[in-house]
Amino acid sequence: MDLVPHGRPAAATGVPVAAVVPGRVPVTIGRAGVAMPGRTAHGAVRADLGEVFRRDYPRVVGFAARVLGSRDEAEDVAQEAFLAFGRSAVPADEATGWLAVAAAHTALNLLRSGRRRAAREETVAAAADAVVPDVAEAVLTREDRARVRAALAALPRKQAVALVLRHSGLSYAEVAVALDMSPGSVGTTVRRAEAALRKELIRHASSD
Amino acid sequence: MRHPTEGVLRRLLDEPAGVSEPDRAHVAGCPVCLTGLAAARDDAAAAGAALRTDQGPPVDVAAGWQRLTAALPAAPPSPSRVRSRRTRAALRRPAVAALAVGVVLAGAGTAAANDWLQVFRTEQVQPVALSTADLVALPDLTGYGTVEVDGAPDVHEVPDADAAAAESGLDVPEVAELPDGLSGEPTYQVGEQVTGTFTYSADRAAQAAAAAGEVLPPAPAGLDGTSVRLAAGPGVAQVWESAAGLPGLVVGRAVAPTAFSTAGLPFETLRDHLLSLPGLPDDVATQLRAFAADGTTLPLPVPADRVTTSSADVDGVPATVLATRDRSLAAVVWVTDGVVTVVAGSLDTDEVLAVARGLQ
Repeated sequence: MDLVPHGRPAAATGVPVAAVVPGRVPVTIGRAGVAMPGRTAHGAVRADLGEVFRRDYPRVVGFAARVLGSRDEAEDVAQEAFLAFGRSAVPADEATGWLAVAAAHTALNLLRSGRRRAAREETVAAAADAVVPDVAEAVLTREDRARVRAALAALPRKQAVALVLRHSGLSYAEVAVALDMSPGSVGTTVRRAEAALRKELIRHASSD
Repeated sequence: MRHPTEGVLRRLLDEPAGVSEPDRAHVAGCPVCLTGLAAARDDAAAAGAALRTDQGPPVDVAAGWQRLTAALPAAPPSPSRVRSRRTRAALRRPAVAALAVGVVLAGAGTAAANDWLQVFRTEQVQPVALSTADLVALPDLTGYGTVEVDGAPDVHEVPDADAAAAESGLDVPEVAELPDGLSGEPTYQVGEQVTGTFTYSADRAAQAAAAAGEVLPPAPAGLDGTSVRLAAGPGVAQVWESAAGLPGLVVGRAVAPTAFSTAGLPFETLRDHLLSLPGLPDDVATQLRAFAADGTTLPLPVPADRVTTSSADVDGVPATVLATRDRSLAAVVWVTDGVVTVVAGSLDTDEVLAVARGLQ
């Protein structure tokens, strides 16, 4: 996947100064980083990467897919998350939550960027000769999905991530650890996210 | 007894065992709470349906692992490199690489924060400690008005340092000695100036605050409609690739961001109001206000639990040094005469400082 610009105010988008204005543009990854190889080019990929990958990869793809609404780019997102993880010093017992947050953030950034549309168009073009079982159904699904994604992208970031993690099956305790929240506040955050999401969906639907 | 919070009601749907017995007993006999519980159930079901994904074929873990190891420098070269050209192209772009460094150092969510921190004319860089939890919760500027960016930044490669200097109008720093593990010639990239306008909307700000369950602080009269013009760049970057063909060292230089008010109140007023919005911890807002009162400091929010900051000097100029706690990345940033320079990479702080001090 691309490291995508945030796509907003972006006074510094794309110029090196953005490096001193951290995160103002791409935010490919969540709490701890993006794949930034180099140091580890000299051999410092963490030893438990393979084990964690085998255990968590499908799940991390799932986190990303839940944000993106499809598997199209979910594996790209998961790969980025694991690349970053491989170079991180995240404690092993926090790996799943860390990867979940990283994947959710990366996918949300992808959603919020204009690049996503372009990337999807590329994908569609590349798959032009693929068999489409039912065009009408596919279009409908795409519209529905787009509406959900727009609503998800409009949520405050913490709410969106908590929502995705919870609906991906993480327990309240796991969400709390992954997001540095108190367990008591997870319910509130998720509840607000769900209410806001539904409101957004209704608003979008009524404006059609 | 008081009613349990909406968060407790929500948890009752998923993990009733996680809710205390008195709360459960209360809800079971309370019409108000039962109504709230039903509403929570409906919203949860709607969200669940909206977020449902197609099962699709099982994820191919073996293929995924092959792809990952192909992208990892420590792995032996793979005959079938699966990593997409698009990804590699993106990672090779120095601007993106520099940004990636920034992101690593800052964690998530600072994009939003920095959208409005741009209202400073940068002459100094000061680190501000935030926790990652705060960063995730920072307000998104687009929730508080409209943002228009004039054109897409055009970052492109140029053949050499002379061309980079000619296009950017900047002195392109020359690295005297590369850190161990890096060699060869850098690629040069130039980015043009990018400008944008943020216009504050009281209505939007109120909506955003309401959506977050917060009350918007009172805004100064006349703030609604205040516009701030932002400008950054041009900039130039040099990138040395590591053995894996990914950026190992980035030396970037750019005209520091500036901002000025084009309509309505002075930008300092807007800044102070934005700083007071829900989502930013009070102590951090105070800190920002204190050292940015003259509008010449670029605060650099960093997640305190992941990044350490320290001060150093680069040829007599105060510089800020950042390093991730896992020591995988480091950067040094300083500003002279309205030009900001950054040296960053998968290096340690001594190495980035050595490169910075050796720039010619």
